[in-house]
Amino acid sequence: MCVAGALALLVYALTTASPYGLRVLTVAGVYALATFGFQIVFGLGGALSLAQGAFFGLGAYVTGILGSRYGLGFEATFPLSLLVPVVVAAPVGLAVLRLESHYFALATLGIAQVLHLLAVNVPELTGGANGLAGVPGVVLFGWAVPRGLPMAALVWGLVALGGLAGWRLTRGRLGRSLTTLRDDPLAAATLGLDVGRLRLTAFAVSALFAGAAGALAVHTQRVVSPEVLEFPVMVSILTIAVVGGRGRMAGAVLGAVLLLHLPEWFRFLERGYLVVYGAALLLTVVLAPDGLTGLLDRAAVRLFGPRPRRLPDPREPPRPPTPAEGLTVAGLEKSFGGVRAVDGVSLALRPGGITGLIGPNGSGKTTVINLLSGLEQPDSGRVRLGGRDVTGAPADRLARAGLARSFQAAALPGGTSVLEAVAAARLALDPDAATAEAHALWALERLGVGELAGRSCDGLPAALRRRVELARSLVRRPAVLLLDEPAAGLTDGEKAELATLLRALAREGMAILLVEHDMGFLLPLAGRVVCLDRGRTLYDGPPDGVRRDPAVAAAYLGTVPPAERPA
Amino acid sequence: MRRALSLLIGLLAGVPIAARADTLSFPVLVPLTGFLSLEGTSQRNGAVLALKQTPAGITVASEVVDTGTSPEAAVTALERAAGSGTVGAVAASMLGTQMLAMLPLAQELKLPLVTVSGTASITEQGNPWVFRFFPGDAVTKSAHARYVVEELGKRRPAVIYQTTAYGQSGKTHLDAAFKALGVTPVFEEGVDPAAKDLLPVLTKALAAGPDVLVLHLHSGPTALLLRQAASSGVTLPIVAGSAMHQPSTAALLEPSELKGVCAETAASPVSGGSAEMQAFTDSYRAAFGKEPDAFALGQYDGMTMVLEAVKAGARSPDAIRKALSAEAFQGLAMTYKSDGKGNMAHSAVIVCYDGTSRVPKLAKRYDDPTLAAQ
Repeated sequence: MCVAGALALLVYALTTASPYGLRVLTVAGVYALATFGFQIVFGLGGALSLAQGAFFGLGAYVTGILGSRYGLGFEATFPLSLLVPVVVAAPVGLAVLRLESHYFALATLGIAQVLHLLAVNVPELTGGANGLAGVPGVVLFGWAVPRGLPMAALVWGLVALGGLAGWRLTRGRLGRSLTTLRDDPLAAATLGLDVGRLRLTAFAVSALFAGAAGALAVHTQRVVSPEVLEFPVMVSILTIAVVGGRGRMAGAVLGAVLLLHLPEWFRFLERGYLVVYGAALLLTVVLAPDGLTGLLDRAAVRLFGPRPRRLPDPREPPRPPTPAEGLTVAGLEKSFGGVRAVDGVSLALRPGGITGLIGPNGSGKTTVINLLSGLEQPDSGRVRLGGRDVTGAPADRLARAGLARSFQAAALPGGTSVLEAVAAARLALDPDAATAEAHALWALERLGVGELAGRSCDGLPAALRRRVELARSLVRRPAVLLLDEPAAGLTDGEKAELATLLRALAREGMAILLVEHDMGFLLPLAGRVVCLDRGRTLYDGPPDGVRRDPAVAAAYLGTVPPAERPA
Repeated sequence: MRRALSLLIGLLAGVPIAARADTLSFPVLVPLTGFLSLEGTSQRNGAVLALKQTPAGITVASEVVDTGTSPEAAVTALERAAGSGTVGAVAASMLGTQMLAMLPLAQELKLPLVTVSGTASITEQGNPWVFRFFPGDAVTKSAHARYVVEELGKRRPAVIYQTTAYGQSGKTHLDAAFKALGVTPVFEEGVDPAAKDLLPVLTKALAAGPDVLVLHLHSGPTALLLRQAASSGVTLPIVAGSAMHQPSTAALLEPSELKGVCAETAASPVSGGSAEMQAFTDSYRAAFGKEPDAFALGQYDGMTMVLEAVKAGARSPDAIRKALSAEAFQGLAMTYKSDGKGNMAHSAVIVCYDGTSRVPKLAKRYDDPTLAAQ
């Protein structure tokens, strides 16, 4: 389909297009290039960066200033127009990327405002509100690229290169990691993905694409003025991404071609074209909520059926050396406001051992797991993993140090296949996405659900979701595995299979912490049991002592041991 | 697949419709949307009214295209216009940044651009294809400053201008004009056109102890500042920029809020002055149901001069350019003659409101060569 679209554009440009048509096509190419970057930071990474227009303008000003004031040629101005937005994006990104959702969007919008103010108020450099006229056209190795077909060919050549790079990035480790991050940042961190670094990389890459687009925009209009830094540019990029299809490079091209041509088709309506343009956009968004590429995908599936996916050969991931020490915790404390959720908990998870963590609802079990996995920071206490102090370490660092966890509600990303979901857990470890998928298939087969690899995570029954999530943990070959109610919702047969698997993992040297309410499942499995009540350790000892402990019985089991019953 | 390809190619190519070969086309490429839509609409109306005076034996075609406020849209519109038949001349956007973007393409396409843009730099690019039928800032701001100093006798002006191309250009020329008159403003500050409250800048200006307020703002901000000045009891004389002469700006204010307010402009059609001017104003009201302003009149005069050239035998863009470059034309607002750079208008007027109506009266006229000597 992409090939057909590209062919249509090529035939149009070579045979039918007037100079005006070629100009609109050229501008569409410029916006497609800018949107490639936005697809990476917003489409894949889920960060609504409203700085894309600002980076577009920055690239434009770099070319405008260097070209018109200093007479530098395309060979110098174009690389610098890519570089400067990236250099600006890096420190800005460090400052704003820790903000979430709308705060991040507002902060990035502020970048555009600051740059706009600079452009208007530093006229000796930028030409002020009038901007700079007389920006030279593109001169490549002494050849002045004329407007019309040669300029369109240059722009679309760069669009092809940028699109290919973006497409490869989308399908590669970075793209997959960003998608995982977008779908669930907490889960991504527990899979070892460095959320901060990924977001910063996406932000910088988006600035690179925007700078390239801005430079080409200036060469096509031969003047740079503060309008390139204004919000309409950003709105256009955002609209192109949404209409074309979020996260898709083909969507950026389709959206740009459509959105740049749409107003031209209705120009005869004078200012009324905006009404038709708005209505057409609204209709597109309503009819194709996942963008035009999504609509085309659905149409293709309806016409030709789903395209079968070739699965990789399963490959066992390398097992890291088992550390002499597992995880030890001493005096862990955590309060939320006036509520002390964890109060002086100490425990040791030894390699090859299964430890049960029990307690009534609200006793602090999940908080302990969150503290151990880095999703919460302890108020006090020490945590050592593999012999090293990791107290307060972020989730991704703990994950890379050999810790894996599952969630009470299986946190699988919607819209992705089971294989991709499990492979996401290897993205921080493997050199490429293909290797990660081969390892993922091994994990799925080990759990007996290899046939699910090609299926979507959406609509999986609860028991299968739990297995897939367990595969996500298992595939990382962790030294320490924290499981939050893995048997919930399983049948007796499935529980027995799970117990067998956990024993096998323990035999391989894994230290396992098992939060579970099902005593029939847990007690035969665990070598040691810790019982919490209101954040405190009520019991810490062998499993056969749990039922006999009066405090545990009173607080959790709800039965009084026979020895204490009144005669 | 082949049908889909044909459909896609057809859709992409589906514009514009070429005019007949014996028709001269005069596209109107002006900002009808965005912050300059009021002024752009005046420009459009002036051009459209002029183009109704078709010379005998010539078929005139004209398409109106909204250029918005981005340079990119203006260049695309010009490229589109160039492809729709034989273009005689283009009524081009009054927005300076759009003009600056269109100029290289106009030179390449060899198309005369007829505009009412006040941005000084558009006629400083050495481009022989631009013709400005509105006095540039060098003319209007000189009149502005001279009226303040020579007629009102004020020597402590506070200047409030807009942080746009229009504002920055005007401020630069006001500075030069006041300097030539030996006056230094006691206060100068730029304000963003999106500012919703101008009381802070007004308060700061008054704190500097001025004896006159000199404004160089767009239409909306001018009305806002005047309303806030009136409600704050400011009694200083106010001499505003050309936006204040526009009937659409006056309509935003009560006549009492306009008392003692003056404005510089190229002309004020609603103030009358001659039978021809009255006829223009009547035709304009009949055609568009609005009051004309100086932008409408300037564009009307410009396109009328173009059509006069066509009547006189110019049938190509280059012939029209030559006529515009060489001839003098008695328009409704003034006599137009190129200074060799495309500046056709060299007169400015000061109009003042008396507080009883929204129609200003002519207070002072500044004609070339008086201004040229400044």
